Amino acid sequence: MLKSKTFVKKTRSGGVLKIVREHYLRDDIWCGSEVCTECKDDSPVLQRDAFIQSRLCTYPHYLIPDTNVVLHQIDILEDPVMRNVVILQTVLQEVRHRSAPVYKRIKDAIHEKEKHFYTFTNEHHRETFVEREQGESANDRNDRAIRVAALWYNQHLRKAPCAGELRVVLLTNDQANKEKATEDGLLAYRCTARRFPSAQSPWQGVNHGRQISLLNEITGGRVLFPEHLPLSRIQTGIKNGTFLQGTFRANRDNYLEATVFVHGEGEDGTEVLLQGLQNLNRAVHQDIVAVELFPRERWAAPSAAVLEDDHANDEDAEEEEAEKVPCVVRKKTSMLKPTGRVVGIIKRNWRPFCGMLTQSQIKEATRHLFTPADRHIPRIRIETRQASALVGHRIIVAIDGWPRNSRYPNGHFVRNLGGAGDKETETEVLLLEHDVPHQPFSKAVLSFLPRMPWAITEEDLKVRADLRHLCVCSVDPPGCTDIDDALHCRELDNGNLEVGVHIADVSHFIRPGNALDQEAANRGTTVYLCGKRIDMVPELLSSDLCSLRSNVDRLAFSCVWEMNRNAEIIRTHFTKSVINSKASLTYAEAQMRIDDATMNDDITNSLRGLNALAKILKGRRIEKGALTLSSPEVRFHMDSETHDPIDLQTKELKDTNSMVEEFMLLANISVAQKIYEEFSECALLRKHPAPPLSNYDILVKAAKSRDLEIHTDSAKALADSLNAAVLGGFPYFNTLLRILATRCMMQAIYFCSGMDSDFRHYGLASPIYTHFTSPIRRYSDIIVHRLLAVAINADGTYPDLMDKHKQSTLCNNLNYRHKMAQYAQRASVAFHTQLFFKNKGILNEEGFILFVRKNAIIILIAKFGLEGTVFFKNKGKPGPKLSFDSEGPSLTVEDQHTFHMFDKVKVTVTLDASNIQHQKIRMALVEPIAGVSVAWPEPAAKKPKLDR
Amino acid sequence: MASVQISEAEKVYIMHGVRDDLRVDGRGCEDYRHMEIETDVVSNTDGSAKVRMGHTDVLVGIKAELRRPRPNVPDEGYLEFFVDCSANATPEFEGRGGEELGVELSNTLYKVFNSHRSLDLRSLCVCPGEHCWVLYVDVLLLQCDGNLFDAMSIAIKAALFNTRIPKVRVLEDEEGGKEIELSDDPYDCLRLRVDNIPCIVTLCKVGHRHVVDATLQEKACSAASLLVAVTPRGAVTCVRKLGAGSLDPDSIFEMTETGKRVGKALHAPLMELLQKDESLGKKRQKVGFLA
Repeated sequence: MLKSKTFVKKTRSGGVLKIVREHYLRDDIWCGSEVCTECKDDSPVLQRDAFIQSRLCTYPHYLIPDTNVVLHQIDILEDPVMRNVVILQTVLQEVRHRSAPVYKRIKDAIHEKEKHFYTFTNEHHRETFVEREQGESANDRNDRAIRVAALWYNQHLRKAPCAGELRVVLLTNDQANKEKATEDGLLAYRCTARRFPSAQSPWQGVNHGRQISLLNEITGGRVLFPEHLPLSRIQTGIKNGTFLQGTFRANRDNYLEATVFVHGEGEDGTEVLLQGLQNLNRAVHQDIVAVELFPRERWAAPSAAVLEDDHANDEDAEEEEAEKVPCVVRKKTSMLKPTGRVVGIIKRNWRPFCGMLTQSQIKEATRHLFTPADRHIPRIRIETRQASALVGHRIIVAIDGWPRNSRYPNGHFVRNLGGAGDKETETEVLLLEHDVPHQPFSKAVLSFLPRMPWAITEEDLKVRADLRHLCVCSVDPPGCTDIDDALHCRELDNGNLEVGVHIADVSHFIRPGNALDQEAANRGTTVYLCGKRIDMVPELLSSDLCSLRSNVDRLAFSCVWEMNRNAEIIRTHFTKSVINSKASLTYAEAQMRIDDATMNDDITNSLRGLNALAKILKGRRIEKGALTLSSPEVRFHMDSETHDPIDLQTKELKDTNSMVEEFMLLANISVAQKIYEEFSECALLRKHPAPPLSNYDILVKAAKSRDLEIHTDSAKALADSLNAAVLGGFPYFNTLLRILATRCMMQAIYFCSGMDSDFRHYGLASPIYTHFTSPIRRYSDIIVHRLLAVAINADGTYPDLMDKHKQSTLCNNLNYRHKMAQYAQRASVAFHTQLFFKNKGILNEEGFILFVRKNAIIILIAKFGLEGTVFFKNKGKPGPKLSFDSEGPSLTVEDQHTFHMFDKVKVTVTLDASNIQHQKIRMALVEPIAGVSVAWPEPAAKKPKLDR
Repeated sequence: MASVQISEAEKVYIMHGVRDDLRVDGRGCEDYRHMEIETDVVSNTDGSAKVRMGHTDVLVGIKAELRRPRPNVPDEGYLEFFVDCSANATPEFEGRGGEELGVELSNTLYKVFNSHRSLDLRSLCVCPGEHCWVLYVDVLLLQCDGNLFDAMSIAIKAALFNTRIPKVRVLEDEEGGKEIELSDDPYDCLRLRVDNIPCIVTLCKVGHRHVVDATLQEKACSAASLLVAVTPRGAVTCVRKLGAGSLDPDSIFEMTETGKRVGKALHAPLMELLQKDESLGKKRQKVGFLA
């Protein structure tokens, strides 16, 4: 029999839609009882002797709970005592609509065989289907449907020959419903939230102690968050000081905590702590918000707990642990931080987020939660019918809004990037997550490229020094196509040496202010990933016109010194030039030429001269206190077909590497001096601040554990003591120390000379420094080129170049891009490491303990440059007994073994793909003690690295 | 429009019959054919009706949608007409054959019905200047056997009578934004007042007389016909001449008078029928398309 169900619905665009569904009624839906002979049910669920000990009903009976009873008394229904319950379809649908967690629980109960819960699809049963009547509310109709079904059961079972005393009992919360049911001749009992589980419970043996905790979470439309104030009130509030404006920064380890960085007057920014969802009030990472400070007595200390919002996926699951959340242990008052709450959002900083879908447990649900890869971002609820197609894929989702009554922000699906774990997808993800602009260059940008075929014109030659006769060559890593530097060295008639560093003249092609320039300025740097390069300038420039390839005429910006044999500079000269490189060598090739005594051509002699000078320069630099640091860097050997990593190799340094580096440093320093001389207000320089002494604590302690002393009062002292720190029989020890020292360093940054007073480059021990030598891959160098060109009258200036504020903003962008490029690079290495280990399977490797923590040790496998943490405590499981000595630092496990820094250990390395979004390298100890599990630190873990 | 070819002798026979007030099928000049009306035939519309008049078969569905009111009348809703000449009706409509006729018919319907005199358009306004109900009236010609306009107008009137628009309320939130809230009860809906909705009476000039509800054969004998839209009170809202021939002023006057008379007489039984049908409620026997 066919009926149709009609209802009206509001569409997202505000329209009203009438929806008509066909609804089929059938007469082959069985009652599910063992006593029934009429129904042809093969395996009835409800038992013949349905007997629950009850004071109210002494005869066997089946229970039919109504919706509210299921919603509020799910704890009791779940009790093993409760058996032979008929769950009506009406009830199930209503429960599902109102509370997903309860729905999940009742479904679980139904699936449990011993409980004998039977789902009766009364809505499709010919005799129990009821149509909504005029003037009847949806709830009333459902109540009636439940009563009709109960009535049907009663009559149906009475017909059974051996039903005996068997009855059906309707359970309801509602007095009116009970009365109506009794009128119909039904046996109905009312159970209120208070009465049912209490001592008067008609059902004995039910666990009385249970509390009704779910009550509040069922009300669907309740408001979870306080209202945001309108902008006008926020503005007056900020003006009179009641509110503070700042950037919202979510805590990545604890979703209930965040800080707001308040931009104070001048330098002193303060941080305001926010705790609890209510106080965070729907702010998302990086939003500009207005906060109100609490009075001092309500200030709190940041909690150290790690709380992950990994709730069951039910879209409406409320945070039960919200109540558990540390009502913030009152710590020492010194720990207390200014605490407040968000009162309004000044500017949202939402961008499309990348992540994965966690499918709702309810099969046909259309609302699903999306978990962003970035843990600062809350989970986002999206609506889609294609959830099953999107699971396991990396997708992009944009936030649409965050209503007051919603636990999660609402968003929509934007784009599918591809399967998680795919190389292309993951690369795309890490580029997106690190905000690396990687779209192909636009038409507007490309229109500013020189027309092909391009050749050097007469005019160019007129204004440039013609250095094509010089024996210039370039030395680069293998496979390098963007060659931006070349060198030469020749003997002058007076016995001195002439050394030239020739840098690609990129600023000749990129004119200030045009689209090409703007794009390059925005990109800031070329990003090198494993097997992929994201260019800062279009390929025509980076790999052809600007690249100083051999045997073609190229425009260059040359820095030429006259030096004596002691590498003392007698004269420095900068000029725009035309060069013709005679050879593009790799480091290894150059090294071979120098070492091969039979080679005696111009190029080789030139290289030998350079090498000799470089050694002197390096010695002098180290003398002054330049640091030689180390970080375990790896290179992958890629399969040429699949681009899968097939082998790993730590980077090897040759003499020629440092030869090129020395001259680049020299050129950079010379240029820095020159442009600062000319433009003391607006020179773009690079500085490396000295780290605070406390940064070195770990290094000093570590050395002490091996009875060595590290002096940190000056760079020179540090360099010397690092050189002296050698252990016999442990050659890698010195490298380990240098790795540690690297971690103590600060980040080097670009700045504008007019905006700062401290110019020192700590790592290089140079009073002034800039970047001049890689204009193809760094925008800073292009600016430096322009400044230098103006300084030597080779080019004109333009207003932005001389504006220190504009330059300062540019520096900020460059520093940001630079940092992001590094993170992206590291993430790419981490991902390829994972791929590598995925192919390798389980490996046993030797490593060294790099750090000792309270509950873990961090291990470095030198062979792979791979770092991992071995935890001695597992979530939930009691771990072994640990005692931590912070002085050593050392960690004693089970009183058996004590781990010190630099100890050699053996670990197994495997890939843990259980969380597909954050795949991890797992390490577990094999020697000296086995059986401890591990996780790899986050790819973006703090790992400052000295970057020149 | 659909037409039939008939011989001269047939024409003469028909014309003589009309002159004597006796038409081929036995009707008088002012008689309609047998009519069947059923409402609520398409469940996923907001209102629908099917009218069968002789072999002419017309289905009308009305969908209400929330739209922005027209800027010149911000406090009124409006109607949109679309006539689909399906190839079912006659093979001539196949492909794009019916398109031109469809546009012509819908334009005429628009002229006849979309006026605040025939329907209280203000009652369709939800929120002046922002939201109003737009009634999309879709007419589907299932079979053509002459007198399309009259059948369509009766079907439209019946469908409008049958239309139930869900009730909405406009809520204003704190920020001054307006939101539309739907009533939870499907029975809670807006009905239209159809008291002033006109019916179309098409008068076909055959010889010196005119007939209402002309069949295709009678139409073939006539050079011009006059369309008169009449409200239940006898007011004429629209007059249009159809066909290639001309009409002299006297006969136009005469035909309008007949139209008024016939139209007035048509409304009363129609409304009675619709109301009776409605009062049956759920007990009403549905016939649908299987009749």
